[in-house]
Amino acid sequence: MNGTEDTRFPRWRAASLLRNRAFLTVLIVALVWIVAAFAKPGFGSYGHLRYLLELAAVIGLVAIGQTYVVIAGGIDLSVGAIVTVSAVGVPLVALSGDSSGAFAVIAILAAATGIGLLNGLGVAYLRIHPMIMTLAMATFLQGVLILIAGGTAISAQNPLLAWLGNARIIGIPAGVILWTIVSAAALAVLHATPFGARLFALGANPLASALSGVNVQRTTMAVYAVSGLTAGLAGVLVLGMNGQGYVGIGDPYLLASIAAVVLGGTSILGGSGSYAGTIPGAILLVTITALITVVNASAGWRSILFGSLILLLLLLSGRESQRR
Amino acid sequence: MSNLAPTHEDRLYWPVQRQRNRSLYGLFVVVAAFVALYAYLFPGLLSVAGISKFAQSWLPLALVSMAQAILMLTGGISLAIGATVSLGAVIAATTMMGPLGVPGGIAAVAFSGLGIGALCGVIAIRLRLPAIIVTLAASFIIAGLALLILPRPGGAIPGWFSDLLAGNTPAALILLILAALLWKLYLATPLGLSLYAAGENPVGAYRAGVPVDTARIAAYALSGLLSTLAGLFIAAQTGSGDPVIGNAFTLNSIAAAVLGGVGFLGGRGTMRGAIAGSLLLSVMINVMFFLGFPPVAQYVAQGLIIIGAVALPEITRRFRRAR
Repeated sequence: MNGTEDTRFPRWRAASLLRNRAFLTVLIVALVWIVAAFAKPGFGSYGHLRYLLELAAVIGLVAIGQTYVVIAGGIDLSVGAIVTVSAVGVPLVALSGDSSGAFAVIAILAAATGIGLLNGLGVAYLRIHPMIMTLAMATFLQGVLILIAGGTAISAQNPLLAWLGNARIIGIPAGVILWTIVSAAALAVLHATPFGARLFALGANPLASALSGVNVQRTTMAVYAVSGLTAGLAGVLVLGMNGQGYVGIGDPYLLASIAAVVLGGTSILGGSGSYAGTIPGAILLVTITALITVVNASAGWRSILFGSLILLLLLLSGRESQRR
Repeated sequence: MSNLAPTHEDRLYWPVQRQRNRSLYGLFVVVAAFVALYAYLFPGLLSVAGISKFAQSWLPLALVSMAQAILMLTGGISLAIGATVSLGAVIAATTMMGPLGVPGGIAAVAFSGLGIGALCGVIAIRLRLPAIIVTLAASFIIAGLALLILPRPGGAIPGWFSDLLAGNTPAALILLILAALLWKLYLATPLGLSLYAAGENPVGAYRAGVPVDTARIAAYALSGLLSTLAGLFIAAQTGSGDPVIGNAFTLNSIAAAVLGGVGFLGGRGTMRGAIAGSLLLSVMINVMFFLGFPPVAQYVAQGLIIIGAVALPEITRRFRRAR
């Protein structure tokens, strides 16, 4: 009796915690914050850390969908374009009778999910490689956006967004609270539902999961739809924080989301990982960027530092297991 | 030996090539259709001057598509292609007017490409880090280097060199043919032979004594070389250097390689496919320009055509099965 309990729940060891990639990433973030707080007065102040978390919330939201897609063995290169679609789209669908602005937000989130579904359709039914499908989608969206919105920034007059971007509930920004709630839901779906289990199965071995009864096509569609939805949510948040949307506002979030996923220990090859690692991964990225901005360097050196730090962190946490 | 009757290898060569072309017929048809449309819109294409002008707009994309295809054949990928192209352009624009002169500048561009590519390869292969994220980080470092060398567009290329490469000469076409021939030669060397083996089945190849890691690192080095040379050509075309000029090439190189049937998992695909893919992309852009599409509509059309071209085999397969 006792023996079976032990195999189901292996005894807790400190060493096993150190091998947990999500925990390691948290540890690195904490270390960087403590060192930076001592080295640079003002870095560790509550206001600054809160600001960093606000920035991380956007990357974190985009990275939810990216984590799902990567775990399922794909990749989504259209998230940056979808963030832009929703940041530019909300002001465009604003209606006069819609005083709270909720309708515009819901309509845009539905549109973002629809774009994700189209990605999934191409990947699942037309068998287009995810990288090329989402890339083509991003190119397509970029063109459509410029056609619709032109090159100018569009201001949003949307009370809901203004609240989302600026309100503080007991001192915590509304965006961070949104991120926390959505993250909890994302983690629960990933680790405690059949859908989450199917994602891991699909990423580890699509053929085996198809043979064991997973509806590969429907699961693929769903996972890209989730990615579209979270990218749309991130776009709404960005618009709320910025006050205006413009073409190109979402571009930085594409590479940031992939970097956050990989730094968080999710295998880029699919089949293993967790959103629990992506959360500190996103915070880590924002922290590095903030640190580099603090160091007064030219654009070239900043870029070199950023790349080198990502490589270094990768060495610490991102080793792929040897396949030989 | 050679005056014997056709050897076994000779009899096998053409059937093998036909086999390798089989999955590319669809692409070749689409490319031919676009080239015909282009020639119809712009009859000047069917002359030496017209073709050499077109080759000049095609060459950089063809080179980066080769760079990406080499990596994808070994099972890797590079997101640093665009940054490397910019670096090549910047180095060319800053060294060629200096004491090194044009030959020194070409050497500097070539060696920096080889070195940076090899370094990326060593980090990704020897340290067993995922290529996509190593090259993502490398793209930041390389873009930073380019910005350090030339913070804003500037520098210069000697006028005679620009005229030689990008003037009224068929130099671009000759370089392209040369690149394709050199690729054939490289495939005949032991490292080139290992390339497909390392991509198709790394474990099996390793056990059979194929230098898998060396072949992969060599692929990264060659990919860096091709990218910086593309940058050199762009610098010659524009007459100056620009630290962000190559950015669009990362995604376009992947698009061209995938259009050409090169698989992401390694070992699948051919260089002729990747080159045809890059031809399709550049003819497409030229045709849309001639049809008077606004630049914006080109994005929309490009996205649709890429999806269409990649999905075509699957759609026809389904259609056939349904009948």
